[in-house]
Amino acid sequence: MAAQVAGARAHRSPRATSPKRPRIGIVKLASCDGCQLTLLDLEDELLAISQRVDIVEFAEATSRRSAGPFDVLFVEGSVSTPEQAEEIARLRAVSQILVTIGACATAGGIQAIRNWFDHDDIRAAVYPQPGYVESLAQARPVADFVAVDAELRGCPISPGQLREFLVALTTGRRPQLPDEAVCIECKRRGVVCVAVAQGIACLGPVTRTGCGAICPAYGRGCYGCFGPREAANTTSLATWLGDRRSAADVGRLFAGFTAWSPPFRSVIDAGGGPPGPVGRRSANPASPEATDA
Amino acid sequence: MPGRWFLPRAEMDRLFGALAADGRRIIGPTIADGAVVYDELRGPQDLPMGRTAQTAPGRYRLSETGASRAFDYGVALTAWKRFTHPPLVPLTRSRRDGDLVTIEPVIEAPPKLAFVGVRGCELAALRIQERAMRAGPAGDPDHVARRDASLVVAVECAQAMSTCFCTSMGTGPEVGDGADLVLAELDEGYVVTVGSPAGGAIVEPLALRPALPSEIDRAGEQVAAVRASMGDPVPADGLPERLRAALDHPRWAEVADRCLACANCTLVCPTCFCTSVGVASDLDGIEGTTERRWDSCFSLGFGRVAGDANFRPKVADRYRQWLTHKFSTWWDQFGSSGCVGCGRCIAWCPVGIDVREELAAIAPATAPVGPIPWPASPAGGRAPEARPIVAPARHVTATLQSTEPETADTVTLRLATNDAALLAARPGQFVMVELPAFAAPPISISRIRPDGLDLTIRSAGAATAAMTGLQPGAQIALRGPLGRGWPIEAASCQDIVIVAGGIGLAPLRPLLDAVLADRPRFGAVRLYLGARSPRDRLFVAEINALAGRADLEVAEIVDRAGPEWLGRVGIVTQLFDQATWDGSRVTAFVCGPERMMRATAATLERLGVDSAATWLTLERNMACGVGTCGHCQLGPFFVCRDGPVFSVAELGTAFGREGL
Repeated sequence: MAAQVAGARAHRSPRATSPKRPRIGIVKLASCDGCQLTLLDLEDELLAISQRVDIVEFAEATSRRSAGPFDVLFVEGSVSTPEQAEEIARLRAVSQILVTIGACATAGGIQAIRNWFDHDDIRAAVYPQPGYVESLAQARPVADFVAVDAELRGCPISPGQLREFLVALTTGRRPQLPDEAVCIECKRRGVVCVAVAQGIACLGPVTRTGCGAICPAYGRGCYGCFGPREAANTTSLATWLGDRRSAADVGRLFAGFTAWSPPFRSVIDAGGGPPGPVGRRSANPASPEATDA
Repeated sequence: MPGRWFLPRAEMDRLFGALAADGRRIIGPTIADGAVVYDELRGPQDLPMGRTAQTAPGRYRLSETGASRAFDYGVALTAWKRFTHPPLVPLTRSRRDGDLVTIEPVIEAPPKLAFVGVRGCELAALRIQERAMRAGPAGDPDHVARRDASLVVAVECAQAMSTCFCTSMGTGPEVGDGADLVLAELDEGYVVTVGSPAGGAIVEPLALRPALPSEIDRAGEQVAAVRASMGDPVPADGLPERLRAALDHPRWAEVADRCLACANCTLVCPTCFCTSVGVASDLDGIEGTTERRWDSCFSLGFGRVAGDANFRPKVADRYRQWLTHKFSTWWDQFGSSGCVGCGRCIAWCPVGIDVREELAAIAPATAPVGPIPWPASPAGGRAPEARPIVAPARHVTATLQSTEPETADTVTLRLATNDAALLAARPGQFVMVELPAFAAPPISISRIRPDGLDLTIRSAGAATAAMTGLQPGAQIALRGPLGRGWPIEAASCQDIVIVAGGIGLAPLRPLLDAVLADRPRFGAVRLYLGARSPRDRLFVAEINALAGRADLEVAEIVDRAGPEWLGRVGIVTQLFDQATWDGSRVTAFVCGPERMMRATAATLERLGVDSAATWLTLERNMACGVGTCGHCQLGPFFVCRDGPVFSVAELGTAFGREGL
């Protein structure tokens, strides 16, 4: 993941270099489109936003198309095919600021689970005619291919963080995208810690905040969709969780939307890799809600 | 002997009624999502009747007691600070109309609350946190107002949790002074002790019967049994000194291997008060708001300063900051321990780190008390002129008269104001500078004029970039002046040495102005200036003019010369190579990058300058400016309040120590 670059260049507002509205593109690689749609969720301010930025490429919302150049390009999805690897290099070359959005673009996404398995086995398991499918052996985050200037995490991204990023862009200030644990948000909200009070496995302490602690607020453990926070001590958390669970089950807790991020990957590897359609399968699968009560 | 009364269990609703009749919302223990929390109660039926909690490191479980008591659960997850120091507090609303800037404080009338179920340790915590928030002469008005609007109904503990250690911290289990009412729960009801006139006014209309001696005795035996069951798990005698001597203990790194730096311990702690300021705005940056949020010394951002440097990058640094602050430097700052022994940080740590074990390993009772690395009480050694004189919410708008480009990225803003407090600023003080929609950075004042102030600002981030780009006529908001300035009085009759590195000359210029304005009062005046390159020199015309004066010496050096530079090349300490002056007569004033200040301080010491006469100004992540947000802490100091000007002697080994 492009760890701390978030915002490092983003505060150089395009407005500072050009009096015109910044040209914005929103594109996707291997992904479900949910993150792009978050922009449409900013309903109340969508019109105002579109008056301040010039959205020249956004296939989900407009038939207007552009191949660039872009002042700011939001990229959703992981790089999963040779075609996408070429495309992202081309997009980087025509974008002043490149922002990855969502777990797929920033961490590889759920499809990166395949990275642990034999490519041909996986293709054969999913497609009746794998010969028609051209894909890379691994689904990887955009930052593995090109330089990334900022990232918005989550599956999907948070509308609040997207708005904050856009406001920072239009006003020329630095976006406030905290890199601390979900726990801070839980405690500010007054949510009772599900890990301590109910023994629910929760990745909140090692996961970056920004979601508003949605899952713990509904009595679930955090499953890490925002990916690792700075100084994510997954080793210590995995050791604690492993007191009452097998290493494979602990690994499985981390094998979600951001599994391929290095701090999570190391725990999954220690548990023998993620469960999958082919190869090893966990004998006694534990859902993330499994408690040690 | 205060009156003691008896409230039958079935009549608890009468007490609730009396509190409500006093216009108060009742906050107390209730069950939510598997834990006791403090929240608004509709009546006694919301109390956690017949429930208790089992706590252990990293673990909390509720269970049935089979009895009908309501207060058998230890302490709730939430500390009362949720109500006296809420997680989110709006601070300001700001607006920019063209050049005009307005910033108004958001002042909310505090709700009138009754806290029912405050334990002995929690009462101590309320007092300790209040002392921290009142410590500056300005204090935190929001906290003070909320605390003043609350009434405390304390309840004696009838059992200890396994994580409790109030006996060691001297805060319980007996409820100490300061509660308005104190209840001791028996099976059949409550012994009620009146602790204040306000508490007396609540119970008087209830016409309770006096408590029987047997009831009072049983209540006393109950809490005595709690004390006996707890023992003394954390011997506190000499603990602050033992911890100070253990700053390099290998255990810090070991605990960091387990610590998640998730901040839970600090957020459940009833005394931790650290916050950060968040900024929000509309899409055009015309209307902005700021709010204060709970933050923690365990988050990386908490130690971040301008230019993305960080003074507490490692988790071991952050754990050490928390533990030493709680148990050691809190004494220096506020005259008490910062820990009350409630045990929340133990139970609610997701990986069960037990502060009692860590203290026993890092600062065992048998450990020697080491040399004191800094003066025991910074408050004691502080000059009286150090105090900030304005309330933190007070913003003054100043108008930009002109701008003077200094270097490629640095501009001096000449601001006009007739605000008496700003015009009375002292050399070395700083102001918080705010534009709507931007975070406010602290900026040192670079000249104090009869009609305004100069601020010399380097464009290092978004806010400073916006400020350096302002045009004459634009307004900007200032909060201050803040902090302790240069002790010019102490330098009277002394030789003066001023050493500046780069933009470090900015806070020294008002000092130089003051010295030159009263030149006969001082001995020799020597100015040593370093810069990265000739193009990075500040105030070039002024310095060139000064160099021509007979009554002061100016020496300059640059790291990297260009073809136009005929002067010396090297680092600023090389300017002292040929110094022949008598260091014992010198008072030195130093500002520059931290590494440069350390090297300069060492050189000055070799030249015989007393470390108590070597003054420097520190740049830390100052946010509130009055010592209540916690960001700028350095050992026992709040840099914004106790500094930013310190003598090398005052800082002791805190100066230049990594990770502090």
